[in-house]
Amino acid sequence: MNIDSRAVVRTPEQPALRSGALQLKEVRKRFLFDQRELTVLTGLNLDVHPGEFLSIVGPSGCGKSTLLRLIAGLDDDYEGHIALDGSRVAGTSLERGLVFQDHRLFPWMTLEQNVAFALIRRDMSAAARDRLVREHIALVGLSGFEQAYPHQLSGGMSQRAAIARALVNEPKVLLLDEPFGALDALTRVHLQTELQRIWMSQGSTMIMITHDVDEALYLGDRVAVMQAHPGRIAHIVDVDLPHPRDRAAPLLHRLKDDILAELTATDAPRSEAVVPLTRRRSG
Amino acid sequence: MSAARIDEATLRRSVMVASPLAVLLAWQVLSAARVFPPEVLVSPQAVLAAFGQLTASGELARHLGESLQRLLWGFSIGSGAGLLFGLAAALSPTFARLFDPLFQALRQVPVLAFIPLLILLFGIDEVFKIVIIAKAAFFPTALSTLDGVRGVPKAWFEVARIYRTPLPSLVWRVLIPATVPAVLSGVRLSLTRAWLVLVAAELIVADSGIGQMMEMGRQMFRLDVVMVGVVVCGVIGFALDRGFVLLQARLLRWRAQPAGAAA
Amino acid sequence: MSAALRSYGAGLPARIALGLLVPLALILLWDHQARHGGEHAFAFVSAAQVAGALRELWQSGDLLTAYGNSLRNAFGGLFWGSVTGLAVGSAMALLRPVDWVLTPLYHGLRQVPLLGWLPLIGLWFGSGDLSKVIVVSLSAFYPAVLYTYEGLKGVEARMLEVGQLYRLTPWQTFWRIRWPSALPSLFTGLLQSVAFAWIATIGVELLFPTGFGLGTVMQHGQLQARLDIVVVCIAVVGLTGFAINLLVARLSRHALRWRPVRT
Repeated sequence: MNIDSRAVVRTPEQPALRSGALQLKEVRKRFLFDQRELTVLTGLNLDVHPGEFLSIVGPSGCGKSTLLRLIAGLDDDYEGHIALDGSRVAGTSLERGLVFQDHRLFPWMTLEQNVAFALIRRDMSAAARDRLVREHIALVGLSGFEQAYPHQLSGGMSQRAAIARALVNEPKVLLLDEPFGALDALTRVHLQTELQRIWMSQGSTMIMITHDVDEALYLGDRVAVMQAHPGRIAHIVDVDLPHPRDRAAPLLHRLKDDILAELTATDAPRSEAVVPLTRRRSG
Repeated sequence: MSAARIDEATLRRSVMVASPLAVLLAWQVLSAARVFPPEVLVSPQAVLAAFGQLTASGELARHLGESLQRLLWGFSIGSGAGLLFGLAAALSPTFARLFDPLFQALRQVPVLAFIPLLILLFGIDEVFKIVIIAKAAFFPTALSTLDGVRGVPKAWFEVARIYRTPLPSLVWRVLIPATVPAVLSGVRLSLTRAWLVLVAAELIVADSGIGQMMEMGRQMFRLDVVMVGVVVCGVIGFALDRGFVLLQARLLRWRAQPAGAAA
Repeated sequence: MSAALRSYGAGLPARIALGLLVPLALILLWDHQARHGGEHAFAFVSAAQVAGALRELWQSGDLLTAYGNSLRNAFGGLFWGSVTGLAVGSAMALLRPVDWVLTPLYHGLRQVPLLGWLPLIGLWFGSGDLSKVIVVSLSAFYPAVLYTYEGLKGVEARMLEVGQLYRLTPWQTFWRIRWPSALPSLFTGLLQSVAFAWIATIGVELLFPTGFGLGTVMQHGQLQARLDIVVVCIAVVGLTGFAINLLVARLSRHALRWRPVRT
């Protein structure tokens, strides 16, 4: 594997590196639903390298979000092994940040208070806290909106605020669960560029789930393609392009065609049979 | 995991049955041990005996009959008038402008404050009681009708216009189904208020009725009679509300049932 | 747009005039009845008489004393009822065993119309201020429990998950997530508690004419057939209810200013 060389190509300005390696071994997740057992994820193996940007794409119902919740520690009930820098994941931790699809800012807190919320359990002086909050609000380009309430922010601004909240702890791994799924196409493109910039300057490991193959390829060092019923990783695509990237790069288009072909060819017949009519279109 | 959940549900149900029983038991123990003198805490048996006596003599039935009759009249007149008022105010802006200030002003005054005024105007006979109950029942129904009719989305009228729906069909097929749920929840509140005010009015001035029975009990230090009254009031109030909810559910069968609750 | 605005501006005085029409007509009719005497002449008082009664009550200091006493009872009851209601509602929402034990008791006791408790409380605690404050507290207690419970229970799981993500302690979760998300519901409860406390205050004063409150003054006015006094009291009661409502609404708007303004 030539991952290490790619990491060097990507971020020559980053320190040689550090932690943030995530390891998943034979992860399996089952739900009990109506007395019936439902296997959502099975035989899932994944190595995420420190500082890497990994995108995960897949049809709806392939267990992408479940996978992210397991890594975040919101759900502890799984079989197999998930470890960050060698220690097993148990419960949530400030080392693992998460950005939800719905921004989940608290409506009764200002932007500043929402970002500071992530630091409640951190032992630090008020001054240090303020500085961190200010820096991260600046990082996502929201300086000047510190006192605004969430209802005064646009969808894109709210999602930036949510990213600032997740990053203010300087987590080793940042998990993003379709962070731009609810935004309009233009805002989306804009925020993708922003996220790339943030990732390059921050250097934490990021794992992003998305429906959007363009987005996955534009941002990811690698793209994991998942399949459903039961959820598993079909294979991983390397995207051998340095960051920052050009959306028009021919390689991205070629890879996109490949991934789309794969997603539609192998998944469609199975999901026809299993996914109920009403949910099929959202895939 | 599912076993644990079943256990919790059973536990919950048994606690919810046990807790009123425990209160009853504590009451029995306290009165049997004579922690308080009997004129302060009568025993459950004494209350039961008083209930039996009041039932056998027909006294309870007479009081209850009087009360329910007043309730029926006052509630029907009040919520009926409220319905008409709400409809008129929602459909005619002029009517709304004419009566809105008066309506809002009267709404601010707690209904019980009208009791002395109404006694002076109507005396202490049946008319007074029916008027006060009607007043209590009027406002919730009027308000919910007003909101309900005004809240019908304009888009539905536009749909009706596109299909050139005749007026009777518009009223019957669109207006009524669209407003009935809101109106009914107002009527339900009217019923609760009417019962509350009825008991209050009878406590203050009456020669019969469940409230008067309790007030007489108080004046004659018959704690057992008062307790019977309290329990009967509660049971009737509960039964009225339950009955109404059942009726409401029947009238609103067409509404989408929450998933899983479909019959 | 500007045309609509202009027509609105021009229509405004006309609208106000229209709104005053009915109350004015009623007052005139009333005045006429009082002066020229009809069948119920004794029951009607002229506007001048009402003004005279207001002056009389004001100068003797009775109005102010009675008003002060009523307000004290109302706020005392509101305070105790809200505080206990808040505590009980929180305990029920946060601790499941408490919920199981108290839910059936709460819903059972709530069925009894509020003033129906009066005879019982009168027997236990006499007909002094203590009994009054207890009944008023009870009236504020019911909504406080209900809305505290629903507010705290209604917090969204997705919001709690954010707390879990940042490893909040149970206390931090309560204070930073549950409590603020329950605030809108708590204010709805407070609004109801205030309204009920004021109604209950007047109700108990009418029924227990010991002490000296607005209800007592009305009761005396009624016994002396002084309709002018009764009308003055009704106006004061109504205006006070209106003012307290306004105050709470302001307060809640301020406390909930983080919410988007709904149009």
